[in-house]
Amino acid sequence: MISVIHTINILLPIFYLATLWVYFYDFIKGEKKLINIKRVFLFITLFLHLIYIVLRTVAFDHPPITNVFEIFTILAITISFSYFLVELVSDIRGTGPFIIVLSFIFQLISSLFIQDLVEVKDVLRSNLLGTHVISALLGYSGFTISAVYGFLYLILYKDIKLNKFGLIFNRLPNLEVLERLSLYSAVIGFIALTIGIVIGIIWLPMAFPKFSFLDPKLVGTSLVWLLYGIGITSKVLGNWRGKRLVLLTISGFLVAIISTILSNFLAQSFHSFY
Amino acid sequence: MNLLAISINHRTAPVELREALFLKEDEARSFIKLARENILKEGLILSTCNRTEIFGVPEGKEFNHRTIQELLLRFKPAKNITEEHFQKYFSRDAVKHLFSVASGIDSLLVGDNQVFKQVKDSFQIAEETSFAGYFMHRLFDSAIRVGKRAISETKISDGAVTVSYAAVQLTEKIFSNLSKKTALIIGAGETGEIAAKHLAGKGIGSLAVTNRTHEKAEKLSQELKATVVPFSEFRESIHNYDIIISATSSPEILISKDDVKKAVKKRNNEPFILMDIAVPRDIDPESKRLDYVFYHDLDSLNVIVEQNLIKRKAEIPKVEEIIEEELNNFWEWYNSLQAAPAIKDLRDLFEEIRREEVEKNINKFSPDDREKLDIITKRIINKILHHPTIELRKNDKESGTSDSAAKIGTIRDLFGLGSKQNSDKK
Repeated sequence: MISVIHTINILLPIFYLATLWVYFYDFIKGEKKLINIKRVFLFITLFLHLIYIVLRTVAFDHPPITNVFEIFTILAITISFSYFLVELVSDIRGTGPFIIVLSFIFQLISSLFIQDLVEVKDVLRSNLLGTHVISALLGYSGFTISAVYGFLYLILYKDIKLNKFGLIFNRLPNLEVLERLSLYSAVIGFIALTIGIVIGIIWLPMAFPKFSFLDPKLVGTSLVWLLYGIGITSKVLGNWRGKRLVLLTISGFLVAIISTILSNFLAQSFHSFY
Repeated sequence: MNLLAISINHRTAPVELREALFLKEDEARSFIKLARENILKEGLILSTCNRTEIFGVPEGKEFNHRTIQELLLRFKPAKNITEEHFQKYFSRDAVKHLFSVASGIDSLLVGDNQVFKQVKDSFQIAEETSFAGYFMHRLFDSAIRVGKRAISETKISDGAVTVSYAAVQLTEKIFSNLSKKTALIIGAGETGEIAAKHLAGKGIGSLAVTNRTHEKAEKLSQELKATVVPFSEFRESIHNYDIIISATSSPEILISKDDVKKAVKKRNNEPFILMDIAVPRDIDPESKRLDYVFYHDLDSLNVIVEQNLIKRKAEIPKVEEIIEEELNNFWEWYNSLQAAPAIKDLRDLFEEIRREEVEKNINKFSPDDREKLDIITKRIINKILHHPTIELRKNDKESGTSDSAAKIGTIRDLFGLGSKQNSDKK
């Protein structure tokens, strides 16, 4: 089984690259015949990735969430899977390359540095921890996709204002759709992160005697949660829309990245496992 | 194939000459009557603002392009029209030209699918006036197939190629659902009217029109089921509209940057589209600097039009491939209407049936009778086919004419003697 895991580990970045290439080629050429082919590529890649994660969980007796490079492979699949769902539901296909490229980068780094960890702390084998981490990662994947759509909104907004009618103008969906996709991704991310936080708040004090509400990761995540909460509420109340709303989703994403880096790599606490 | 065609079009003649020879529907019907009585057995008249074309099968060899041209000029006298203003096509080239027209690659605006509808209408008139015979029906089917394939298999008609349509398409890059949006058209002139019609065609939620001359606004609003806003009051209400298209001949600015700024504030930063397709401009171009305002004038819309035209021109080779393919199919069908191959196909069919039946029943006959069976059945087939063969050979002398084609076509249809094209289609 280990050799199969190693083989898939090498294959995954190649599959993501091939999928990315098909999506990118379609973005440039806009040929009708590629519309279904690229979806098949993404489906096969996601299926292979799912097998990989199941095999790792079984072979090493813990979900792949115990170090940064295991987290990266989960991020790669959650981002692409979320996009796959968005594409299926909305049938909007011009934005794929901008999202799949993130999965490719995460998976490439993961495949290069991931190790076969059999021995991990007991606490990392907990199912509640698995749910907590995967919910939080789904939340961050949603925010990532939301930020990508927000970024595409800003590029298209600028192109239309400056009379640049090139590839971006021709291939991307309209501004209202991009705004909606950004909002929906943020809402899904917000719900998933809320679940992650709730589980964390209930379970962490029981599992860790040193638990503190001032833990940097908890504070950073709460800040991100609050930012998205304000943005989504403002949208629902009709106060914020368009450019202002997408700027908020991009800011939320940047805060999420900075908070993750600071809390994971700089500040050591009970909440740091690697 | 003795199909003739003459064409005066945007490449060969200026607009005043094209106008002089333009045939309105009733004129086209009268001309068809005249042509049928004098020179053409069957045919087609296509007359639009960019072209007047006559396709026809002449009654006899004495009639040619010049005869048709003279008949047209006699029917619709026009000064300053010379031989050079007409293009002339014969046989396969005439068919190819009709296919090019139907596909839109011969249009002034490449890929214009308006002409496809006009070709259909022309055939409708030919049909109603009994000007479309057996040959023309088939030609019509092929031309329509070319037009449809060009639209569905290539991008020859993609993108806006007029400024007013480009303005409407640009709004679709900002809003996802025009049925929930409101628009105001300032100026009920030709440009404003076209833009309003495009918006109505795209299903705009509600449309309002304003014009300095109130009656003109009323007239356009009735046509498009729009509301009328008094010209003196429209400035105060611009915030109520998501899209404003301005196309007046006003010498001064009608909407200042300040007006736009106030409107954006009242709209609570909802996107605000301003399309200024007037010369000189009606809306202060400085408005484009405001957030949430999408201001576009003629220059920027022309960029879209130019880009789309370049893209359409790049599709021409693909359309030409379709034309060539359909031309070959049509030619093959036409050749199948020659008498000699039709006789051969008919005889082959009967011989095949005879041989199959003989082989199936041969054991029921004694070895001595088997040779006789073969001879007798062959004789029966020869007798059955004797008269049809004689009749078809008569057609050989007048092969290619509509009557002969109709007769051979009927035989082929009755006995299922399809050409390759027919069997492919099945």
